[in-house]
Amino acid sequence: MHKRIETDSPGVFIEELKKIDDTLPKRIDANPQNVEKGLAKLVLTLIELIRRLLERQAMRRVESGSLTDEEVERIGETLMKLEDKMQELKGIFGLKDEELNLSLGPLGDLM
Amino acid sequence: MRVYLYAIIDSNDKIRKAIKGLEKASVYNIPYRDIGLIVSKLNGQVQDISIDRAIEHEGVVETLMEDFTLLPVRFLTLFDKEEDLLSVIKGYYSDFIENLDRLRNKIEFGIKVIWPGNTIRERIMNNYPKDDYPASISGDSPGKDFIKARFKRYKITKGFEDEAERCIAVIDNLFSLSVTEKRLERLKSENLLLNAYYLVEKERQDDFRRSFEQLKSSFNDFKYLFSGPWPPYNFIIPKVI
Repeated sequence: MHKRIETDSPGVFIEELKKIDDTLPKRIDANPQNVEKGLAKLVLTLIELIRRLLERQAMRRVESGSLTDEEVERIGETLMKLEDKMQELKGIFGLKDEELNLSLGPLGDLM
Repeated sequence: MRVYLYAIIDSNDKIRKAIKGLEKASVYNIPYRDIGLIVSKLNGQVQDISIDRAIEHEGVVETLMEDFTLLPVRFLTLFDKEEDLLSVIKGYYSDFIENLDRLRNKIEFGIKVIWPGNTIRERIMNNYPKDDYPASISGDSPGKDFIKARFKRYKITKGFEDEAERCIAVIDNLFSLSVTEKRLERLKSENLLLNAYYLVEKERQDDFRRSFEQLKSSFNDFKYLFSGPWPPYNFIIPKVI
């Protein structure tokens, strides 16, 4: 069986795959020097996942027209405050948006 | 002497080919019931853990793939002695048999597709109708303004994902007749539209390659990468992780 790797744009693929590889560490990097940041990353990742799920669900309900004026206002303010708080916490722990994810091995990435 | 494991094969016979493994050690088969554990001896740890060593490991697996159905084992899997390896294998025997039966005479191919994601998202954004919001978010207030902005982003992302799904369906459909199983990873990044793994019967690999030739002329501004045949890395289903 002759192995073949064929593409007319090797550079483009190398660059794109490197980009994906660079964003996600394979393991949580926790050691005595950075244990606080490691834990914060884990916790903020889970909060970010829940925040995104809430936002997506809210958008679906807005789209379907099942929310009243008051409910939209309340959800809007809640999501806005949640996002502000997340920005603040990311700033405190020096975390970037793209760092808030986890590789789940064969299951793929969390987000 | 420690034992380095490369793969599990569907035969308990001696290997006829002379294969050299890590540290140039001879590769041999340890029979267990009707399957075999492909190993070589190793003195202590693997020296110089590097891409070259990983390629040596992969080389052994690929040579075996020519003659056997196999389950490739992760790089750097070491046991202190043969008895340790056998005691581990005993517990997973039925799992291995199930996988070997399912993967018999099958090989894996990979297809990666890059599309101009940024351009497509921009086009969807430009075509998004201004002030097209549901009645419940009309009017101005901080909460509603926030929801308006998020709703627009939601609709654009949805449009982007729908467009991606449409293209993936066309691509995947080209291969559907020549594959037995598949694993599709969609939009791993804005531009990496599809990272697909296909399990193909050995005798159908020419059909699969022909489908790839067809694919190349389907979307002119997409870029494609074809690789294989590989051992079925992505199609082994472990019962216990």
